[in-house]
This record gives sequence, C-alpha cells and structure tokens, in this order.
Amino acid sequence: MDIKKNKYYKLWLKDAWPYITGAVLLSMFQIVTLAVTGNPWGVSGVLATWGAWMYETVGGSVDKWYYFASEGAQRTLEGGFINHGGSIRNIGIIIGALIATLLSSGFKIKKLKSWKQVVAAILGGLLMGYGARIGFGCNIGALFSGIASLSLSGWVYALFLFLGAIIGSKLLVKYFM
Amino acid sequence: MKEVELDCLGEACPIPLVKAENKLKEMEIGDVLIVQIDHSCAMKNVPEWARKEGHNVEVEEIDDGEWEIIIEKVK
Repeated sequence: MDIKKNKYYKLWLKDAWPYITGAVLLSMFQIVTLAVTGNPWGVSGVLATWGAWMYETVGGSVDKWYYFASEGAQRTLEGGFINHGGSIRNIGIIIGALIATLLSSGFKIKKLKSWKQVVAAILGGLLMGYGARIGFGCNIGALFSGIASLSLSGWVYALFLFLGAIIGSKLLVKYFM
Repeated sequence: MKEVELDCLGEACPIPLVKAENKLKEMEIGDVLIVQIDHSCAMKNVPEWARKEGHNVEVEEIDDGEWEIIIEKVK
C-alpha cells in the first residue's frame, strides 16, 4: 500500500498539526523541562553560550564579561557542550524540525529572492539576538516561560511584542511589497 | 475569466498572504488566482484566509516543499 495515501500518515506526518495540539504539547514539554532540570525552557541563552564557545575556540576569553560572570555561567562554559542540557535541547529542536520536514517530504533548499532578504535577515537576527540578551530572554525564555511561571514580566513582554509586531508589519509592507 | 499566477517562491510569512490579498482585490469575480509558495506556514494561513473570505480553495503539492494554492474568487 502506498504510504502517501495512508490516513494516519496524512494526519500525523504530512499535514500541519492544529495550533491547539502544538500549544498543548509545548506546555506539557515545558512542564517536563522545568520539573527535570529545575530551569524554565529557554532557547536564545544557549546561543549566547555557543557564541562564547566559538569565541574561546579562536582564542578569545569571556571570563571578564559581566554576562558570563556568574558561577553558574562559568560552570556551564567549562562543562562543555555535551554536559549542557540546553545545548542538547537546541540541537534536538533543529534535528527534530529536519526529521519532521523530511517525513512530510517538505524539504527544499530555497532560493534567495533578493539581497533585501539577506540584509533584512541579518539585521533582524542581530536585533533579535541583542534584544533577547539585553532583556534576559527571548519569546521562549521571557515570554512563554515567563507567563507560565506567573511572572508579570512575561505579560509586559507580550504587550511590547505586539507593539513591535505592528511596527514590524508596517516596515515589512513598506519594504517588501 | 482570467487566471493569474503569483510567484511567492522564496518569500516568508506573511508576505505571500499580503500579496495574495492585494492581488485578489484587483481581480474580478470568477477569476482564478494561483499562489506559488514554498513556505509551509503560508500553506496554512493563505488557504485559511481565502476560505474564511468564502472563496473556493484548492491546495496542490507541486514538488517537495512546494505548493500551489488555487483560489477562485466567488464574491
């Protein structure tokens, strides 16, 4: 039998899951993360650690940096990649996304349409990365985990996320339409 | 009755949706808009919007990670 015609292949692997299914699964897994590791789920803090490791590889040192000054941060940096739960989780996200794309035969290397896309992606990435570190959290660590821990800061984040999204949409329509 | 192709390959959300909205506005009732996309989230939000507006919608898989959303303007 052709797997592409199988009802369950379509339902589970081929078609996008409903938003509500994703929401329920994300909440369950973030509870597991908090219970097992003692820390709420975060994504972008790990990227800062990866950046520090890369900097150390080329001979740099972050020992004097305020961001990495805490004992915990130093221990994480010394412990290395394999002992860092957050790093393993982020790798899991990347590999998991790849597997899901391959299983639905949706993998495609996309062409760049214009240099505007490159500029916007680099600029957007820099702004998001900078904002996430200066604000001690991205939309996962600060928004999702923040609200899940009943922290007011998560809601403040949400409010300004919406304001930013409105401004961003206006810029998008202005420069990309 | 006209058939219009809208090339949104390589465009990320929400650009395909906004482009499709703008294009459909200029079209006549009975015309068909074919939106070419390769961003899976557009595969969700473009048909959702068009169906909510009451148009006839069909999604066709052209290749791995590439789809055509066929929208017939009905009102």
